[in-house]
Amino acid sequence: MQATHVSEVTEGSEGSTVPAPGPDMNLIFEFSPLPLLVLSPSCFITRASARFLADWRVSSEACVGQHLVPFLEKHLHPASVEDANKVHGTIDDAIAARAERTTKAINVRLVASWTARVIPIFKEDEVLAIVTEWHEGPPQLLEGDLVKPGLSTHEAFRILVEAVKDYAIFLLDVGGHIATWNMGAELLKGYKRDEIVGRHFSIFYGKDDLEMKKPDIELEICLREGRVEDEGWRYKKDGTRFWANVVITAVYKDGIHVGFGKVTRDLTERKASETRLVAAYEESEKLKSDFLANMSHEIRTPMHGMLSACALLLDTPLTERQRDIANIMDESGQVLLQVINDILDYSKLASGTFSITSDIVGVSSIITSVVRGVQTTLQPSVHFELFLSSDLPKSVQGDPLRFRQIVQNIIGNAAKFTDKGSIRVRASLQNEEEDSYTVLTEVTDTGIGIPETAAASLFTPFTQFDITTTKRYKGTGLGLSIAKSLVELMGGRIGYRPNPERHGSVFWFTARFKKIKSLNQIQDWKKLPKGGSLHSRLGTDKSDWADLQTKLGEIAPAKNILLVEDNIINQKVMLGMLRSLGFKHIDLASNGAEAVNMVRGKPAAYELVLMDISMPILDGHEAAAKIREAGIRVPIVAMTAYALKGDRERCFEHGMDDYIPKPVDKKWLIKTLSKWLIRQKRDYRRRSLDDQMGELRLIRQKRDYRRRSLDDQMGELRLTAEQKVAASTSTVEVNGPCQ
Amino acid sequence: MAMVEADDRDDEGSIPSTHSIRSRRSIRSFSMPDFGDHVDDQIFSQILEMDDDETTREFSEPLVTNFFEQAEETFVKMDQALTDKNLEELSSLGHFLKGSSSTLGFSKIKDSCQIIQQAGHMLNVDGSPEPDEKVCVKKITEALKAAKVDTTELKQKMERFFAGKPIGDN
Repeated sequence: MQATHVSEVTEGSEGSTVPAPGPDMNLIFEFSPLPLLVLSPSCFITRASARFLADWRVSSEACVGQHLVPFLEKHLHPASVEDANKVHGTIDDAIAARAERTTKAINVRLVASWTARVIPIFKEDEVLAIVTEWHEGPPQLLEGDLVKPGLSTHEAFRILVEAVKDYAIFLLDVGGHIATWNMGAELLKGYKRDEIVGRHFSIFYGKDDLEMKKPDIELEICLREGRVEDEGWRYKKDGTRFWANVVITAVYKDGIHVGFGKVTRDLTERKASETRLVAAYEESEKLKSDFLANMSHEIRTPMHGMLSACALLLDTPLTERQRDIANIMDESGQVLLQVINDILDYSKLASGTFSITSDIVGVSSIITSVVRGVQTTLQPSVHFELFLSSDLPKSVQGDPLRFRQIVQNIIGNAAKFTDKGSIRVRASLQNEEEDSYTVLTEVTDTGIGIPETAAASLFTPFTQFDITTTKRYKGTGLGLSIAKSLVELMGGRIGYRPNPERHGSVFWFTARFKKIKSLNQIQDWKKLPKGGSLHSRLGTDKSDWADLQTKLGEIAPAKNILLVEDNIINQKVMLGMLRSLGFKHIDLASNGAEAVNMVRGKPAAYELVLMDISMPILDGHEAAAKIREAGIRVPIVAMTAYALKGDRERCFEHGMDDYIPKPVDKKWLIKTLSKWLIRQKRDYRRRSLDDQMGELRLIRQKRDYRRRSLDDQMGELRLTAEQKVAASTSTVEVNGPCQ
Repeated sequence: MAMVEADDRDDEGSIPSTHSIRSRRSIRSFSMPDFGDHVDDQIFSQILEMDDDETTREFSEPLVTNFFEQAEETFVKMDQALTDKNLEELSSLGHFLKGSSSTLGFSKIKDSCQIIQQAGHMLNVDGSPEPDEKVCVKKITEALKAAKVDTTELKQKMERFFAGKPIGDN
């Protein structure tokens, strides 16, 4: 209908071939409420209706005579030039079809779109004109695949936003009050649309955030920057909190700020898994250190065996060549042992299980003794200068062993890297306080020195400053890092500076020692058995002994012990000792065969077997082996008079768990019995390699599960003889009992 | 295992005390007699501490008596083995008596037994081999003789000690 009407109008405008019965067609066209644009067949604009000019805010002069496509481009700024060209295509279509067509929408600045009905007007087969009628509509952003026919983009957006469940997406007005609410917001924050719209968004923030005016600050930044992102705790309606990622975007319409868009995501899970990851990492670090510590122990034991064997070998008549080879073995073994000791110390320090003991320290005598020791290794062209300041305290309280270790490390390094010249060792009192001294030890050498670039990483573990030197100077690169940790444990500092006088280095460290308060204190120490005694070997002080004996006394009456000893005198003494410790159930066997029969006959009867080694009929080794063959896991403690270190290892080889040197010392007996009879708090250092490997595998699993399974493993391991080489025993064996 | 140095000998405080109240009392009132180098005081004092009553010494006295019986029996066996040139048996007997003498802290006897044990295995005391059997037999003979002398001497001292008499010095 309209088309006909328009064609009539067009015809009229064409030159009055038919006399007009009504009002002037020009006027009708002019005042038509339709935004019309008449084009020539070649698409030049010939006329525009008043409504069109008004809608498009253009003058007639700006239109007429223009080609349609450039005109559209100029006035619509379409999203793409293609859109304008498509209009041309639609016109061609309409002409070809001699029928009305509608153009696709031309998007304009993402806020609106224009479509045109294209009506070609024919006279016979000749195109007279093309009438286009322009309508403005909403932008067709989701045009095509995303929007089903019949669904406006507007509506699609609304549905999309409202239906999203994983994100809280909503709008705030300019003041920060909530204006819209989607499903995601409802699920995440727990508020229904009705109860939250109109409230200020600061309702989601915690007290701390509110105190620092975080909501206001966020909006301020958002206005300035266009958007703001934040991560932090936000609160739900029920008061619970979640770890949120929040993005706020300022929303403008026609250049006017109308509010904010806010998108909130729940990252609680991610946050939790991050925390778990960090915890797992820390735990695995700890396990790694423990593993190292344990492994070093396991290596050290056979190492000592090898070295003792080597020392024995060197004492036998050897040819010169054999002696050379044995010497190489011995030297390499010593170096390897040092490396292992370093690693052990380092891993202990790293895992925080290293402890400093308190004993009497003779600072001067330790330094002198180290210097004397190192002197023998020096090149003839190097000489030592030792300055001990007169204000150095005679004796102080601290850890003499560790102090010696630091001094040894630093002086040893100086000797290692100095070929000629001098090594000057200077010890002085740096500071004296009411109850402590700080002693400064400086070692100046004229050795190879340290390049400036390497100075910063000197105390970093596993660093050897010059790769080329590592071949010449053996070591782990742990020495200084261990020294540093030890110094710090002793309340001091360590440092390096180049030798100011000539080529070389100055290493210095301080250590803080407690003052010895009274003479009595010194006398107490002096009364303690001296180096190599039970006390220091077992690393337990007086009160610990009493404590241990009391504890042992509490459990002793309930324990059953089998004592295997052939010598009646020794039997009696052992019985006497055990009774004095509170044991009431002690069975006797006077040789290995008897012991095996008794244990086999009542596999669960004994909590512990004390086994003499040298016995008639069946000796202790064989008896232990037979008990183990029978699958009985009772702890067996050897009592041996043998002095050689290898004998101890032989006890373990035969399935025994521990040993007591003969003649049996009561303290040693208490210590050993306590170890095997009192259930002790499990200690990482006491565990075997297998156990730790198991734990490493389990670390990813749940904590409680891991604990339980470990407990199970521990139960088995406690009884696994060969692997039970406790840290403390290993320390004992270093010194070795000698009869 | 000589734990206590010579100059600490009569200082009971040097023996780390973890004993019961009873033992502590006995330490305070009791002073270890000087057995010379016959006895390792620290070891022997542990034996004496096991006595409930230090006037009767019901534990240590029979123990020591038993030891001397054992020692004398063993010496008889050793003499026989020496006549038979049975070194293996001598070594085993030496080890046996070394065990009990060291348990009681009877150092001199123990040292002789150690020599017998090692020589029986054709070894020197330091563990180096002694291939000459005659040397070994000689060593055993000397050590056995010394052990007997020491045992007799110590026995007398012990008897006096348990009788509450001064042990004298020689």
